[in-house]
Amino acid sequence: MSGKLNKVWLISFGLLVTAIIVLNNLVRGDWGDLTGGFANLIKFWNTELWPPRWSLIFEAQSEPPNCRVEIGFFCSKAYTGMLETLKMAFVATIFGFIGAIALSPFAAKNLVPTYVLVPTRIFLALTRSLPSIIWAIIFVIVVGIGPLAGVLAMILYTIGYIGKLQYEEIEGINREPLEAARAMGLRHSEIVSKVVIPESGNTFLSQLLFMFEYNVRHGTVLGLVGAGGIGLHIDRAMELGNYNDVMSYLIVIYVVIIIIDFLSLFIRSFVTDEAEIGNKSLISTLLPASLTQRWRKQQN
Amino acid sequence: MAKPIIKIRDLTVGYDFPLLSEINLEINPGEIVAIVGISGLGKTTLLRTIAGVIPKLSGQIFGDIRRRGGIGYIPQRLGLVRHASVYHNVELGARCGVKLSTESGNIFNWSKRKSLVIRDCVDQVGLSEKIDEPIRRLSGGQQRRVATARAIAQKPQLILADEFLSELDKENADSIISLMRKYVSDTQCAMLLVEHHIVRAEQIADRIIDLSGFDSKLTSEA
Repeated sequence: MSGKLNKVWLISFGLLVTAIIVLNNLVRGDWGDLTGGFANLIKFWNTELWPPRWSLIFEAQSEPPNCRVEIGFFCSKAYTGMLETLKMAFVATIFGFIGAIALSPFAAKNLVPTYVLVPTRIFLALTRSLPSIIWAIIFVIVVGIGPLAGVLAMILYTIGYIGKLQYEEIEGINREPLEAARAMGLRHSEIVSKVVIPESGNTFLSQLLFMFEYNVRHGTVLGLVGAGGIGLHIDRAMELGNYNDVMSYLIVIYVVIIIIDFLSLFIRSFVTDEAEIGNKSLISTLLPASLTQRWRKQQN
Repeated sequence: MAKPIIKIRDLTVGYDFPLLSEINLEINPGEIVAIVGISGLGKTTLLRTIAGVIPKLSGQIFGDIRRRGGIGYIPQRLGLVRHASVYHNVELGARCGVKLSTESGNIFNWSKRKSLVIRDCVDQVGLSEKIDEPIRRLSGGQQRRVATARAIAQKPQLILADEFLSELDKENADSIISLMRKYVSDTQCAMLLVEHHIVRAEQIADRIIDLSGFDSKLTSEA
């Protein structure tokens, strides 16, 4: 047992040393860049990034002029940009997920023969091999600047990425429900919809939520190539050297990502093996069990 | 004499190498046959081969069982969809058992008839109150009842069951045994089960084939 443990430690240590050697190779032995870099970061933070321009978050922008909401926040550049990014991510995640769920059963080796799974996997690898930002550049050329290019880019990437996660999940499911269904004579479509999807449903839901969060984060980057959303504002601010503006947008993105993370934690808590329906609250999901109990006692 | 439901001739089963060879077996309508024997002989492999889940190495299997819904297979760990409800699992069997015929009306009629069959089967195994519960929240005995309900909802010609009476207490085992015996007798289907519990095999089966000490060859005469 301890011999096995020692081997694990030895391998881990070996990997760490290899990583340091490779890094040394990458910086060509000049670590001055790294040590000096931190001082530069502090300077950049103090002079350029902080304080952020709060007005971008809390005050109404001049465009569009017909913003009818009284509260400035809902007409601010950061809010409208982030909302567009969220819409793009939502649409792309839903369509991408549907595309992936339609393709992944044709890429799982426990469901289809090799001559079906190989072309499907090649297609999924193709959509995944190009990062979404490259797809976005292609779609900006095809459909022009704006959110549609971003949405199309994210859909393709989602299909490839989620598709791979899904077929790996499908290949890992217990073989007995599949065998029972096959022996019954159920069709491939029935096996997928009635056995595979319910059996992997929890993981699929996790993947869906993860991909939404991923698309929100990447949606912000896609704006840099003209594919809409808050990224477009970040791109313009960077071009003009307004790093305080960039900081404002980054704060909004960070807060939204944290909210999505907590929400997905809450939603996923309903589908775990231990989940008891009707006994859930956001607090009980976010806090450790001991704190939740104390909180409940106080409530009672 | 009635035509056998399944007739096996010189069947060899296994994976890269044969586990059981020269298998000859006939099972008649309304008959329950149990195979008993020590572990590792290839009893499960035999059931999986007859179920069509793995290919046979050689030999012939005759019988009108290869149609949709012809075989009801209960694997060792039951093969239930764990995250789905009792209703969902029994529905898998019922969608094969309740035929969608053009004479009997549209798809809504089919759905309605299917729902009645599901509820009836779940009722027969005494799980009406748990019909919407997910499988993962049921006890081992209750899960075996669900697998039984799924098999009978399918109205198969042949039921293959792999040690599905194991891990059951006497009361649960007795009730499932009497249910299966009645079902096989009423519908004149056939049942082949693998069972390591010899007393339970004697309780349920009309004929027992004991493979202990047998040199990897199974014949109906054995």
